[in-house]
Amino acid sequence: MVNQAPVNVALRKDELERIAQRLGREPTAAELHAFDAQWSEHCSYKSSRHHLKKLPTSGPDVILGPAEDSGILYLGEHDGERYGVVIAHESHNHPSQVVPFEGAATGIGGIVRDVLCMGAEVVAVADPLRFGRIDDPDSHQRSVAVGVVDGIAAYGNAIGVPNLAGDVYFDESFDDNCLVNVVALGIVKESEIVHSFAPKDAEGWDIVLVGKATDASGFGGASFSSLTLDTEDEEANKGAVQVPDPFLKNVLMRASYRAFAYLRDHNIEAGFKDLGAGGVMGCSAEIVSSGGFGADINLDEVNVAIENMPPEVIAVGETQERLLWVLPPHVTPEILRIYNDQYTLPQIAYNARATIVGRVTREKKYVLRHRGHVVMDVDIDFLTGSIRDELPFTELQPAVLRDEDIVYPQLATDEIVDLLPRVLAHQAVCSREPLYRRYDAVVRGLTVIPRGAGEAGVFAAVRGGKLGVALSVAGNPRYGRLNPQRAAELAVVEAACKVYATGARPIGLTDCLNFGNPRKIEQYSEFVAAIDGLGAAARELGLAFVSGNVSLYNESTAGMAVAASAIVACVGALDDLAKTITPGVKQAGNALFVVGNVSPGFGGTVFAELLGNDDDNVPMLEYPQLRVDLEFLRAAMREGVVRSCTPVGAGGTLAAIARALFAARGAGRSLGAEVDGEAYFDETPGFVVEVDDQELFLRLAGAATVRRVGTVSKAAHFVINGESLHVEDLYRVWSAPLAEVYP
Amino acid sequence: MSGKIAVPIFPGTNSENETVALLRDCGGDAELVHWSAAETLGRYDAYVLSGGFAYEDRIRAGAIAAHDRIMDFVIEGAQNGKLVFGVCNGAQIVLEAGLVPGTGAIRRPTAAFTRNAPEPHFVCRHVYLKIAIDPSRSAITASLPKDALVPAWQANGEGRLAATPEHLQEIVDGSHLAFVYAFADGTASQSASPNGSALNCGGLINRAGNVLAIMPHPERDAWNFNHLDRREGKDVLAPSGGAMLFKSFVKAVNG
Repeated sequence: MVNQAPVNVALRKDELERIAQRLGREPTAAELHAFDAQWSEHCSYKSSRHHLKKLPTSGPDVILGPAEDSGILYLGEHDGERYGVVIAHESHNHPSQVVPFEGAATGIGGIVRDVLCMGAEVVAVADPLRFGRIDDPDSHQRSVAVGVVDGIAAYGNAIGVPNLAGDVYFDESFDDNCLVNVVALGIVKESEIVHSFAPKDAEGWDIVLVGKATDASGFGGASFSSLTLDTEDEEANKGAVQVPDPFLKNVLMRASYRAFAYLRDHNIEAGFKDLGAGGVMGCSAEIVSSGGFGADINLDEVNVAIENMPPEVIAVGETQERLLWVLPPHVTPEILRIYNDQYTLPQIAYNARATIVGRVTREKKYVLRHRGHVVMDVDIDFLTGSIRDELPFTELQPAVLRDEDIVYPQLATDEIVDLLPRVLAHQAVCSREPLYRRYDAVVRGLTVIPRGAGEAGVFAAVRGGKLGVALSVAGNPRYGRLNPQRAAELAVVEAACKVYATGARPIGLTDCLNFGNPRKIEQYSEFVAAIDGLGAAARELGLAFVSGNVSLYNESTAGMAVAASAIVACVGALDDLAKTITPGVKQAGNALFVVGNVSPGFGGTVFAELLGNDDDNVPMLEYPQLRVDLEFLRAAMREGVVRSCTPVGAGGTLAAIARALFAARGAGRSLGAEVDGEAYFDETPGFVVEVDDQELFLRLAGAATVRRVGTVSKAAHFVINGESLHVEDLYRVWSAPLAEVYP
Repeated sequence: MSGKIAVPIFPGTNSENETVALLRDCGGDAELVHWSAAETLGRYDAYVLSGGFAYEDRIRAGAIAAHDRIMDFVIEGAQNGKLVFGVCNGAQIVLEAGLVPGTGAIRRPTAAFTRNAPEPHFVCRHVYLKIAIDPSRSAITASLPKDALVPAWQANGEGRLAATPEHLQEIVDGSHLAFVYAFADGTASQSASPNGSALNCGGLINRAGNVLAIMPHPERDAWNFNHLDRREGKDVLAPSGGAMLFKSFVKAVNG
């Protein structure tokens, strides 16, 4: 046993004492770094896990809840096979703030591996982004906003996975802490799921490391992500960011698909897991311990890029583009052949390869060897077991509506007409096209609604089949700042509504919870309140969370925390792609209706801001009515009377109608709309729906909230109470703001 | 008789599956050929080089791949009259290999598909390609109507044709300009170009007409379900739109 001098780790004193007591000796450097990674907030969820348990995680559509690297939702049947959608959701906030391009690219790389390792083909990504103020071209905030987008584009485009959904908000609370959340989807047959744990007979099996040669990049990444960013440490922190290589990943993904096919054809069970936080140590320890085993790993067998790295760096360095198999020994040679010979990994990147690095042991110990020495020897359950940190919080004021406080401003037609271009040009509403144009939204040839053509992306799930998937994200920081709980509820509802608008049925959710410092009561209380909100909305809509991520310490050294940001992704199922509803209006003469959109409260809306109104009554949801409205919308879609549908979001109903006109323009149709004053800028969830058979539509409506707001017109004018605006003029106003930032 | 079509893949290729699927849906006998199995390429009757980033494109796109062993077989096949169709990165490789416009020596290109303008970055945007030659000039385009308008997606960082004025003149004089960018109504003009391409060029063909290179991806707007403005009531899984060019290619391969 090698005794090392104490090293710089983020473990607290009481945690260090606990480790030394359990081991009965001082820990080695490798052990210290291993516990530092495993016990970081980032890995252990020590202050969040017990609250996360309050979220609904099961239901008829759930194949696999939050237990492994990704969750899996039941999509539907094709050719007698049951298909699942694999979904994972993560943040890469801290690295992206420090090194925007690489940090964001690494986020895509990591999330893709989480989905891949379930045995799935990776088919889509999405990226909810939150940036600081970008008005100053020379600001760091601006370079972060551009670098992150370019990093996501460079990585996602290269690996050939379409970017199909996402959103972006700009807000001063993100000046020092951008949020880079990423979602990935995969498709897998239910019978071919690969699990992230060692199968039940795995004793003595090989542990095979695949991918890039381990280097010193990403050393300390997990504990770094569990700290408040300090600008003075910026240079040092850069070393904690991994270096992505999408081209190697492209080969790794394709080789892994081949390996899946081989295992499937030979009916062989195996374990497969992404190397994320904690590197070789974290991944190998978790994959064996969750199967009830231990591991014996020889670090000398790990393919490295740099000679003479200390064992703790080889063990916990978070070098990208690596995966780990647990394989029965008779299968290992063929899997090694696929990666090393057929897909020629060693020729693709320096010293990349698939190698046997250890074996699964019955004894529940985690042993690391290095140059003939045992550098780590610990009880594996102690290392990977959940540790718990009960932090104090206060119950935030429950979300009660104060009717008497809500004063809706009544606007004259000329005021509305004046306000509309300002709303459309607002950074929360304006076109995101200059940004998402950098993303490949159509690679794979299966895209139905590409990024930007709708509020949710839609794609064909199975080549040659009619099953479709819709994907959306939501999470409005303007609401988050005012009321974390209601903001979280609205994120769930808004994400679901975006899916409903495509004609799909929402089947499940993921969340990424981006908050400040959990050791500060007010910030931790926001986090707890948001979970309450997520749980309430999900239960009301009958949806479960199947995976997610927590990112805490999004606070600057100056003490400014990000606006409470519970960001939600929603997946929807379409049994027939022919039933997809697109947002662009289709034909002059059709009626425009608003469905839903009745909840009171306009605090946090763009409209309130532009009017200088400081009402803090974030829209309040009335679930029973919402459910009636959503059910009606689906029935109307099934009957075929809905020709287009646009969810109401930032900018309200009038902005939604404008987007429906812009979407038609994008599809080559020049149309306009004539509306009366009943349409407005309120942002509560709802839909603008284009209808051809009004009679049938109204007959189906029953108790649903439906109001007619206007008609699609032949001339490309947006006419409000007789006042006419050119669609082209509005389109220019809407398109301009981000074109300056993303030229 | 049906000819065998190879879709060879380089380590950074990423559009191989949709390309093979579309070729098959259009009646082609197509299969992937892995880079570690390049030696089998001589057995095929035609080649389709698909999109991606063959060797990372860290220097000019396609420049490294043009010197790969895979291209020895493709070049030899092209010289013997086999049909070769390059799409996006495949088009860049075919151009860097000197197969189109074919006015220079092999692997000594006389033009380049280079960095987009005015947006010098990856751009993903729906476009239309209008045929700029008489379709009968090439076996690959022979089944297209005279004024064919092919819907497609531009998705590249480098797609702008650049060459010296003399070499551009050679392209015009030799009738190598196969496709130009157009608006949805079929009007072709430089303002329809998404990337400032010289001659508004979206695709090039060699003198013999057996090698075609196009920059945008018709295989991403090739089935009814992926048309932006779907024609409702039709079979959503049927090939259409951008598939017309692949159907024409397959018909030529199958003779």
